[in-house]
This record gives sequence, C-alpha cells and structure tokens, in this order.
Amino acid sequence: MKLLDRYNRVTLITTVIVMVITGIIYYQTISWILIQKIDDDLIVEENEVFNYVKLNHQLPQVFNSEDQQISFYPAVKGTITRQFINTDYYNSKEKSLESGRGLISSVQVKNSFYKILVVESKVETEGLIRIIFFITAGVILLLLVILLIINRLLLNRLWQPFYTIMKDLKLFSVTDNSELQHIDTQIDEFKELNTAVIGMASRVKHDYKDLKLFTENASHELLTPIAVINSKLDTLIQTENFSEAQSKLLTDLYTAVNRLNRLNQSLLLLVKIENRLEHKRDTLDLKVLIEEMLIQLEEIYHDKKLKINYTLVPKEIVASQYLIDILLNNLLINAIRHNHIGGDITISLTDSTLSLSNTGANAALPDDYIFKRFHKSSSSEGSGLGLTISRQICENLGFLLEYRFIEGRHTFTIQFNGG
Amino acid sequence: MKILIIEDEQGLQESIEAYFSEAGNICETASDYRTALSKVNLYRYDCILLDITLPDGNGIDLLKTIKQNDYTDGILIISAKNSLDDRLEGLNIGADDYLVKPFHLSELMARVTAIVRRKSYNGSNVLTFNEISIDLQGKEVKVGRQSIKFTRKEYALLLYFIANKGKVVSKNAIAEHLWGDGADMANNFDFIYSHIKNLRKKLTDAGCRDYIQAAYGMGYKLTSI
Repeated sequence: MKLLDRYNRVTLITTVIVMVITGIIYYQTISWILIQKIDDDLIVEENEVFNYVKLNHQLPQVFNSEDQQISFYPAVKGTITRQFINTDYYNSKEKSLESGRGLISSVQVKNSFYKILVVESKVETEGLIRIIFFITAGVILLLLVILLIINRLLLNRLWQPFYTIMKDLKLFSVTDNSELQHIDTQIDEFKELNTAVIGMASRVKHDYKDLKLFTENASHELLTPIAVINSKLDTLIQTENFSEAQSKLLTDLYTAVNRLNRLNQSLLLLVKIENRLEHKRDTLDLKVLIEEMLIQLEEIYHDKKLKINYTLVPKEIVASQYLIDILLNNLLINAIRHNHIGGDITISLTDSTLSLSNTGANAALPDDYIFKRFHKSSSSEGSGLGLTISRQICENLGFLLEYRFIEGRHTFTIQFNGG
Repeated sequence: MKILIIEDEQGLQESIEAYFSEAGNICETASDYRTALSKVNLYRYDCILLDITLPDGNGIDLLKTIKQNDYTDGILIISAKNSLDDRLEGLNIGADDYLVKPFHLSELMARVTAIVRRKSYNGSNVLTFNEISIDLQGKEVKVGRQSIKFTRKEYALLLYFIANKGKVVSKNAIAEHLWGDGADMANNFDFIYSHIKNLRKKLTDAGCRDYIQAAYGMGYKLTSI
C-alpha cells in the first residue's frame, strides 16, 4: 500500500467518523432548539387562551390558523396533566397528516373543566433542519473531496524527490561508473536521504573498487610464481630418464599449473572487463570470426566426434576483437566440453541473434547460477569464470546473453539489441 | 644465437638461461634496469628478452633507448601484463613480439628463433634441418627434392619442433601453441597424438628419418640423431 493511500485512508476514516458524530450532535442541538421554539409558541397560545378565558369567562372561538390548531374537550378536573407531546397534525389544506408538536393543558371556565390541545405543525421546522443538515453535509463532503485532491496533488509533488531517489537506487550498480545525482529539493528529510544514499553509493563503489584492485594485484602477483613453476617444469623434463610414475606426476603437475594459470588469467580478464577498460573497437564480421574459430577448434571437436551444423549470415558488429574472440571461444568451448561423444552443436547467426545449442547432460542447468562466478559442474575442467566473463562482455556491448534448455539441448543465445 | 635476458625474477631468469644455453646459445642476463642499460649500450645481441616491469625502471624506456640508437637487436617483450594496450605500445615502439607470462620455455624459444630468423633474412628464407628444408616464405617443406603437403597445424608443429630441437616439448606447450585458448580442454591430448603421428608419417613416407620421439608420455622431442 502506498504511503499516500494509507495516509488518505486514515484521514478519511477519521474525518468521516468525526463528521458523523458532529452531525448527530448538530442535528440533535438544532432539533432541540427548534422544538423549544415551537414549545414557546404553544405556551404563548396557551396563555392567550387563559387570558381570553379570564377576561370573557368563556372559551374562545376555535379557529385554525395555518399551522396551529386549538381544540377543547370537556374533561374531569384533576385528570389532565400539563405536558408537551409529539403528535400528528392534520393539514386541512393539503388534507394530509404531518408530524406536529402539541401541548396538553387545562382550563376552568366557570364550573366546567376543559382539556386544551394546541397542536403546531413541525413541517417547516423539519424542513429547516433538513436544509441546514444538507448544507452542512454538502460542505463537509466538499471539504473532504478538496482535502483528498490537495493531498494527492501536493503529496505526489512533495514525494517526487523520494521517487527520484528510489529510481536511482533501483538502477544503481556497483560496476557502473556513473555517480548518483544530487536532487534539487527544499525538504530537509529528502535532502538528508539523498546525501545518505549518495554517500552510501560512493562508499560501496569505493569498497568494490578496492576489492577489485586487490583481485587484480593478487592475480598479478600470482603470475610470477606461476611463470617460475612453469619454466622450472619445462626445465625439469629436459633432464633424462623418468620412470613412468614420475612422468605421470609431472603430467599432473603440468595440468594443475595450467589450470591455475587459466584461472588467474580469467580473474584478471574479468576485473578488466568489469572496469570497462576500453579496448580498441573495430568493425567485425561475426560470420567470418565464427568460421575461423571452427577451423581453429576442428581437431578438438572431431576428437569428440561432434557434428557441427551452422547457418550463418554476415553480421557486422563494432566491438573489440580481443573480447569477441574470448566470448565466442568461451561459448564454443563450453558447447564442446559439455557435450557427449558423438553429440552435435548447432550454431545459428541471424541479424538479431547468435545462438549456440548443444547436446549434453539431459537436465537443464540452473540458469540463476551458471552466470555466477565459480559456479561449475563438478566434472568441469574449466575455471568457472567463462560464462561470467561472457555475460560481462555481452553487457559491455549492450548484448543480452541467455540460457535455455529446450528439448534436451542446452542453448545459449546472444541478442544483439538486448541490452 | 646471442641472447640477453632482462628479467628480475631470478627463478625465471635461470630457467630461461639454462634452456637457451643447453641449446647452444650464448646467454647474458640482467636483473635490473641499470645493468640492462649498460649491456645494451655495450654489446649487440641477436635477441633481447625484455621484461617490462623491472625494480628500478620500465622496460618500455629501455626499448625506446634501443630504438633511438638504431640498434638492430631483435626484441621480445615478456610481460605479466596481458593488456592489449601494453602489447600495442610495445609493438608500436618497435618490439618484434610480445609474450605474456607465464609461458612455456619451448614457446619462448620458438618465438625467439622466429625473430632471429626474420632479422637475419638474407634473400633465401630457407630453414634447413638435416635433410628437411623449409621455405618459410612459401611455407613449403621438402625432404631432399620431394615436397610434402602439410596441413597448417602440422607445418606449425614442425617449425615448433625444429626450433626446440633436442628438447622435450610438453604436450601442454604443444596444445597451447596450436590451439591457444582452445587448449583449455587439457585432459585429452589424443588429438595432439594424431597430429604428431601424421607429421611423422608424412616425413618418413618422403624418405626422411624419424626424428620425433615420444618422451616418457609427457611430451615429444625432436633429435638430430
């Protein structure tokens, strides 16, 4: 629920409850005042009757004014209590019953005792109350609507800096080199939030930079010992006469050093492309590059008896040849490496996509994880960085690299306009 | 060949020196910028192996000095920096080749040999090894008078072996030389075996002696017998 909605809901409910209570009190008060006024009229009438009787010693003529009726009934003395009652009023003009207010009283004329009933119509009073009530209700409603609109407009505008900051935060990426922008606002809370967010972002970026620098330095420092081990191994195998066990050990050493080296190179490369260090860009034809790469890797896929089907159209992109070579090589080698003997690879290059699909293990890879660093299948000989690097290269170029498992085939697709 | 090895990492320097000396080359070494500068100014070499990062200076400056003085030494940069910019800068200033650490000594040897061969190019660019003669320009291999048709990789392999004659060349080094990053699939070197088998067969079929031998299952060796 949005803050604005929540706020509106609370204010609305409170306002409505308060208004209803006020309305009831208001209604009661006005009714009471008006009834008092009618009662006063009735008393005035009663007094007129008393005065008339005192002067003339007889009952006055019964006459009906427009909204008052007086009637006299003979009664037994002592049975009448003076009281006000709510009763019906017969409107002789409109021939209908209306609600009315009456006063029951008594008078003695000579020796006769009479009950006096004075009734006054409440129609006008009720009409008045109704009008007052409707005007009040109308004002309240208008007030509510205006409040609601003002809230919406004003709060929306007031919260604008907040939404801008939110948007910036959503787009925030530690690998991105752009800084968060300062927001122009008069409101202290948002100013503070903005400063805090910018501060946090730059701290995070700084830490991340440090971390990357550390990775880069560590990898660089590792290069020299790896180079020494490698050269010493090369020297060692020049000395003659190895037993079979020794040569097996040496081969294993070579393989391990080789892997160590590749891992290290991949880390360095990843840091470099994450830093988006610009490489020289050329116009490249992917079709030509893929064909060259297929020739280059020919023996390797022949060795696994893989069948390669490809349909390629000429597709020019502007990119660094160095990075594109790495990208294509990674994808193709993965397709070969994770294939089974006698499997096949299908490569299709169109104007908008490049996709490589291969047979292999008959289960989808977890596509959330495969692009993460050091995620790899236990049987894989790779560094676990190949797909991370590939995706990063695609990101740098504004491409989108995706994995799908369709009908038993592992498919990697690059969308050239997918960034 | 006369080689100057400018490398501050002692272990690496020794390995390179040993590898090149055993192959009959004259090697001198320098571990820092000052020693390297004085040697470069005093003597001429067929090839200088130049490490870019030295404790007291930058190898690129040394390269500039060599080029400013018009010294004709071949120069191969060996660097831990696998950056395209460094590579381009090095090659633009006039280095002949650029090799990224870590490397196989056999790869280094092949690169140095190629540089020296190019430098000493004297009209006929023909490399001879016993009865094998290779026209480097036309990429044509002959045994005696008989010409042999090699694939691109077999040809590269033959040159690699001749450059490293008398040395055991590891399968890793061969795979990396021929397939570059593709050599990643390291646990299966069967395809190397079939390449070497083809190479040997084509040579012996043409009446050449079989110079290439497997060495303890780790690699191969070309010997002049």
